[in-house]
Amino acid sequence: MTRFGIGRVLACATAVLTIGACSAPGSSQSAPADTSGPIKIAVVDAQSGQLSSLGAWESKGAKLAVDQWNAKGGINGRKIQVDVFDDTGDPTVGTNLARKIASEGYVAMIGTAESAVTVAMAPVLQQAKIPSITSGQSPSITAVKSPFQFLNGPTSTTYDETLAKHLVDQKGLKSIAFITNNGSYGKGEHDAFGKALAGRGVTPVDDQVVTTDQKDFSAALTSIRQKNPQVLFVGTEEVEAGLIVKQARELGITAVVAGAAPMGTTVYLNTAGAPNAEGTIVSSPYLSNEINDASRAFAQAYKAAYNEEAELHGAKAFDGTNIFLTALKTSNAATGQQLADAIRGTKYPGLLGTFTFDETGVGIHATAIGVITAGKLVAAAS
Amino acid sequence: MQVFLQTLVGGLSFGAVYALVAMGFSIVYRTMGLVNFAHGQVVMVGAYAASTFYMSSRLPFILAIIVAMLVTGAIALVMERVLRPLENKDFDLMLIGTIGFGVVLESLATIIWGATGHAVPTPVAAEPLDVFGVRIRTYSLVVLGIAAVATVLLLLFLQRTKRGAAMQAVAMDHEAATAVGIHVGRSNAIAFAVGAGLAALAGGLVGPLLYVSPTLGGTLGIKGFAAAILGGFGNITGAIVGGLAIGLLDSFAAGQFQGYSDLVVFLVFTAIVMVKPTGLFGERTVSRA
Amino acid sequence: MNLLLRNRLRSAQLIAVAVVAVTAWFLPYGLDGYGIHVVNIAIVFALLAVGLGLAMGVAGQINLAQVAFFGVGSYALAIFTTSSGLGFWVSAVLAMLATALAGLFVGIPALRVQSHYLGIVTLGLALAFTNWVTNAEVAGGASGLNGIPVPPLFGIDLSDEYLYYYLELIVFGLAIAFAVFLVRTALGRRLRAMRDDSLAAGAVGAPVPLLRMTAFLTASVYGGAAGVLYAGLIRYIAPETFSVANMFLLLAMVIIGGRQSILGCVIGAVALSLVREALVDFSVYAQLGYGSVVVLMVVFAPTGLAGLPRRIHGVIRRRRSGDRAVLKPFRPYPPAESAGQGPPLEIAGISKNFRGVKALKGVSLSVAPGEIRGIVGPNGSGKTTLFNVISGIYTASAGTATFGTEVLTGRRPYQLSQLGLARTFQNLRLFGQMTVEENLLVALDRSAMRSLWRYVLWPVGIWRFERRLRHDAAELLERFGLEDYQAAAPKSLPYGIQRRVELARAMASGPKLLLLDEPAAGLNGQEVGQLKEIVRSIRDSGVTVVLIEHNMGLVMSLCDRITVLASGGVIAEGTPAEVAVRPEVIEAYLGDSFSTAEVVRAVETETMS
Repeated sequence: MTRFGIGRVLACATAVLTIGACSAPGSSQSAPADTSGPIKIAVVDAQSGQLSSLGAWESKGAKLAVDQWNAKGGINGRKIQVDVFDDTGDPTVGTNLARKIASEGYVAMIGTAESAVTVAMAPVLQQAKIPSITSGQSPSITAVKSPFQFLNGPTSTTYDETLAKHLVDQKGLKSIAFITNNGSYGKGEHDAFGKALAGRGVTPVDDQVVTTDQKDFSAALTSIRQKNPQVLFVGTEEVEAGLIVKQARELGITAVVAGAAPMGTTVYLNTAGAPNAEGTIVSSPYLSNEINDASRAFAQAYKAAYNEEAELHGAKAFDGTNIFLTALKTSNAATGQQLADAIRGTKYPGLLGTFTFDETGVGIHATAIGVITAGKLVAAAS
Repeated sequence: MQVFLQTLVGGLSFGAVYALVAMGFSIVYRTMGLVNFAHGQVVMVGAYAASTFYMSSRLPFILAIIVAMLVTGAIALVMERVLRPLENKDFDLMLIGTIGFGVVLESLATIIWGATGHAVPTPVAAEPLDVFGVRIRTYSLVVLGIAAVATVLLLLFLQRTKRGAAMQAVAMDHEAATAVGIHVGRSNAIAFAVGAGLAALAGGLVGPLLYVSPTLGGTLGIKGFAAAILGGFGNITGAIVGGLAIGLLDSFAAGQFQGYSDLVVFLVFTAIVMVKPTGLFGERTVSRA
Repeated sequence: MNLLLRNRLRSAQLIAVAVVAVTAWFLPYGLDGYGIHVVNIAIVFALLAVGLGLAMGVAGQINLAQVAFFGVGSYALAIFTTSSGLGFWVSAVLAMLATALAGLFVGIPALRVQSHYLGIVTLGLALAFTNWVTNAEVAGGASGLNGIPVPPLFGIDLSDEYLYYYLELIVFGLAIAFAVFLVRTALGRRLRAMRDDSLAAGAVGAPVPLLRMTAFLTASVYGGAAGVLYAGLIRYIAPETFSVANMFLLLAMVIIGGRQSILGCVIGAVALSLVREALVDFSVYAQLGYGSVVVLMVVFAPTGLAGLPRRIHGVIRRRRSGDRAVLKPFRPYPPAESAGQGPPLEIAGISKNFRGVKALKGVSLSVAPGEIRGIVGPNGSGKTTLFNVISGIYTASAGTATFGTEVLTGRRPYQLSQLGLARTFQNLRLFGQMTVEENLLVALDRSAMRSLWRYVLWPVGIWRFERRLRHDAAELLERFGLEDYQAAAPKSLPYGIQRRVELARAMASGPKLLLLDEPAAGLNGQEVGQLKEIVRSIRDSGVTVVLIEHNMGLVMSLCDRITVLASGGVIAEGTPAEVAVRPEVIEAYLGDSFSTAEVVRAVETETMS
C-alpha cells in the first residue's frame, strides 16, 4: 500500500517535471512605470556595523533634500518618497538590495558609501536602468563603466592633484611622508597622491601602510619621525586620521599634516584634538558650513532637523539627491535611460561646487585647499 | 633602537587596555565556566557611559568611570540572569548566545547614542614625557597605573575577602563549593558584575585613546579574548601578561609588516596556542574543557 | 508492528522529500527577479551552513573559519579565471582543491586544542585570511576582483538568475544528499561519537585525529562549493563579504536551525536569510530583533528549530510512559577452543608523573592469556591511572606495556583498539546523543580511514558495509539482551542497563584484551551476579580480562589472580586466597573495616557456590 503511494507520487512528479522543463521560468517584464503615486528613491547604505556612521550621515542629508522638495510641492505634483535600506556594508546584501529596488519601482538610488557594495550593485542597476549616485571615490567604481553610475564627489585623483599642487608647486614642500591605510579609500589615496607627486619628481621620504582598525601607530610614526619630513600625508578615513595625528603630535612630529576631505570634518578635528589638528592642510570640495550662503542655509536646516552639526557626507548626499530631483523635474519624472541622460545633462550648483558630469559619471572636478586655523577649516590664501 | 623602544611603549599602553578586557573574560570564565562573547560590547557600553557622564554631566573623569562601572554592572546582572541556563553548558550555545547579546547591546547603543560616535578629550592635559628621545604619553601612564591598581584590588578581593574566597572555591569545584554552603548563584552574579565593571574600566580608559562608537567593542573583544587565552584562560595574572603580550605583538607586527599585521598577529597567536594550549599561566585545575 | 511503523515513517519521509523537490523545481515560476536572487543567495548560505553544521553539530569541532573557506573558494575561482585565464569549471575544481587544503590547514590546531581555544584560533585564522585578501595585489586588494566570467554550460545562459537557480539547486541537492548519507553511515557515526565523547570514541577505535581533520575537510569542501557558486552568481568579490559579522550570522543560522540536523541547518539558513531580507529597511531595530531572537532561541530551544518536534514528542511520550521494554538475559558466547592461547599482557616498570606527583612508581605485572585479573587497591592507589596508561589515554613517563609482540605504550587509543584492546570506564562514557544501537555500531566499525574513498567514488560499497554492520549489531544486542533498547537514548536507561551497554560496546570491537574499570559500581546484587556470568563467558570465548573493582566479593570469586596496588606501586600479587591473607594487603587496603577472617570466609563461600 505504501509502496503504491510512493510510486504514484514519483510518477506524478516526473510527469509534472517533464512538462515544466519545457518552459523556462522568469519574468522579463519590468515593473510598469507608475505615474500617479509618489516617486520612489532608495537610500542604500550601511546602517549597522562598522560603517554605519557614514550611512547615518548620508541618509540624513538625502532625507533633508527630499523634505525640502516635498515642502515645495514635490515634482509635477507627485510627492517624493525616500526609503532607507541597510546594506550592512556587505556586497552580498547590496546585490539583494539592487534587485529589490529594481523590482519595487524605485527610480533612483543614493548610495552607497562603501565602494565594494557599490561595485557589486552596479551591474544589476545598469541592467535595470536605475541611475545611482555614490559617495565613494574608488577607481574601481569608475572602472565598472556603467552609464547609470554617478559620483557625487571628486575622485582621489582630483583631491590629491590639488593637494600636490598646493604643497609642492606653491609652498615648495618636497619632503613628504605617507601614512595610509590598506582599505579601498586609503589605497586609492596612496596611489593618487603618489602619482601626483611622481609627476612633480617628488618621491615620499617614508611610506607607511596601516590597517583600517589599527590603534597604535607608534612604530610607523617613529619611523616617520626619524625621516623628519616637512609634510605628513594622511590617507585614512576621519577617525583613524584623527588618531594618527594625535599620536604623531604626542610623539613630537611637528610636520604639517595634509590630506583629503576626511581631514576637514569635525570628527577628525575632535578625535585629533583641536591643538593637534591645527594647521592641517585639507583638499576638499566642501571646506565648511560657513563657506557661502548655500552651505550656511544647509547647515542651518540640518541642525534644525537633526540637532547636530552638518558635515561633508551629509552635504554630499544632499547634493546628490538634489541633482536627482532636479533631473527628475527637468525630464518630467522620466525613468531609466532618459533619467540618466537628464542627470548627465544637469548642471547643478551644489554645496560641493558646480556639478557637470563627464562620461565616467564624475560630477565634481575641482577641490579647494583649506587650512585648519583656530579649530576651524578656512580657505587657504593662495 | 628608538623605533623599538617607542613601539614598546605604544604596545604596552594598549596592552594595558587589552589586559583589563582579558581580566573580565577570565574572571567570568573561571567562576562560572561561561565564555562571554558580548564582553567587547560591554566594554563599548562602558566607554559610552563613561564618556557621556564625563562630557555631558561634567563629572570628574574617575567618577564618570565609576558611574559607568555601576551601569555595566547592572547590565551584567540582567545578562547573567538571562544566560543562566547556558552556564557550564556546551560551548556552541554559549558562543552564539553571548554573541546574540552582543548584537543586542550594539543596536541598543546605536539607538541611544546614534551611529556616528564621538571623540573624547584627554583628561590629562600634561605634555608627553621625553625619556632619551622616547616619548611617553602621560595619559598612558595613568592608564597603566589604574590597570595596575585594579589588578591588585581584584587579587586582594579574591584572596583576602570571604566573598572572594567563595568565588575561588566555586572556580575550583562547583559541587564541592555548593556542598560547603556557598551560594553559587550569588558568586556567579558577582563574577559577572565584576567582569562588567572591569569592562567599563577598560572602556572608560580607552575612550580618550580611541573614538567611541557602537562598533568599538568588536576588535577590543576579539583581541581581549585572545589575550585571555594567551595568558592561560581563567588566570588573572595570565590575563595581564596575555594582554600586554597581545598589545606588543600588535604594535611590533604593525611596524614590521604594515598592512599585513593582522595576518601575522593571528598566525603567531595560533602557533603559540598550539605549542602551549594552556597558555603561559595555564592552570589545569580551572580548565573545564 | 514496529516494522510497520517504521515503514510508514519512511514512506512519509519519501513523500515529503518528493514534495519539497517538486516545490523547489517550480519555485522560480512564482518569483520575480528580486525573489529569485534572494533565493539564490539563500542557497549559497544554506550550503555554507550545512558545511558548518557537519563540523560543529555532527563532529563537535568549533569552526569559526567557515566564512574564510567560503572566501578561499570564491577568491581562488576569481583569481584562476581572471588572472590565470583558466576556464570556469577548471578553476572551480582548482578552487575546491584550494579550499580543501585551507580546510586541512585550519584543522591542524584542532589536533591540539578544542572548545573555546579552537574557537578563537579558527576565528583568528579567518581574520588573517580577510587581512591577506585586503592587502594582496593578486586578490585585488580592498577593492576586490571584478570580471569573473559567467559559467558556461552547454549553451545554457547562466547569467540568467532563473537558470542559475537550477544549477545551484542541483549542486545543493547533491550536497544535501551526500551530507545526509555521511551522517547516517559509518563515518558520520564516528564523527558523532567523537563529538559526544572523544575519549570513548578513541577507545572504541575511532581515529580521533583523522576524524577531526575530516570534519574540517568536509566543512571546507562545502564552503568551497558555496564560494564557487557565489562567485559565479555575483561575478564580483570583495573582502567585506567574508567578514566576522557574516561568520556570526552563519553561526546563528546553524544554531537556530539545529546544528545536529542537516535539515535544521538548511531551515536555519533559509529562515534567517529571508528574515534578514524582510527587515532590511528597519536597520537598527532589525539588528536588535536578530540579537534578541538568537538569545531567546539559545536559551529556550537549545536544539534549534529542527529539535523542536522531538522535544515536543519527548514530552508527550514521557506522559504516556507505558514502557514495556525489558532487559533480557545474556546469551553466553560459544567457548573458544583457542582460549588461553593468546598473547600475554606484560607491564614492565610503568611510571606516571603529573607535575611532580608520582601516580605510578614502576608498576610491573604480567597477565597470562585467558586469565581474569583483578586489580584492587585503595582510592588514589593508581589503578585507573594504570588503565589509562595501558589504553593510551596517558603516555607513560617510563616503562612499557606489551601485548604479545605488540608494544602498547606510545600508541594512541584508537590504534590500541585496532590491536585488540577494549575498555570500559569508571564513570560510564556512552555516546549520549546516539542510540544504544549506534553506540554499538561505532565499535563494530573496524574499517580503516583509508576506505573513505568509497564515500566519494563507491557509495554502494558503504551501503553494503552498513547492512553488514547493522546485522552484527542486531546479533550483539540480542546476545546482551538489549533488543528492546535498540533505539533508546543511553541516558534515559537505568544505570545497570547502561553498564551492560558499555560492556556490549567494548565487546563489539572484538577485543583480545578487555579492561573493565569498576564494572560493578552501582549495580545491585542480581546485576552483579549477571555481570559475573558475562565476564566469565567473555573470558571463555578467548579474551583476557583485567578488571578494577572495589566489590571484594566479586573480585574474590571472579578473578583468577589479584594484583594489589597501593600508592602507585604493586604491594602484592597472587590468587584471591593468597592475597587476602597477606598482612600488608590488609593493612594497606582493608584497614580496620575488615578482619582477615571475614575476607577468608567470603572467599570460601564464593568459591564453593
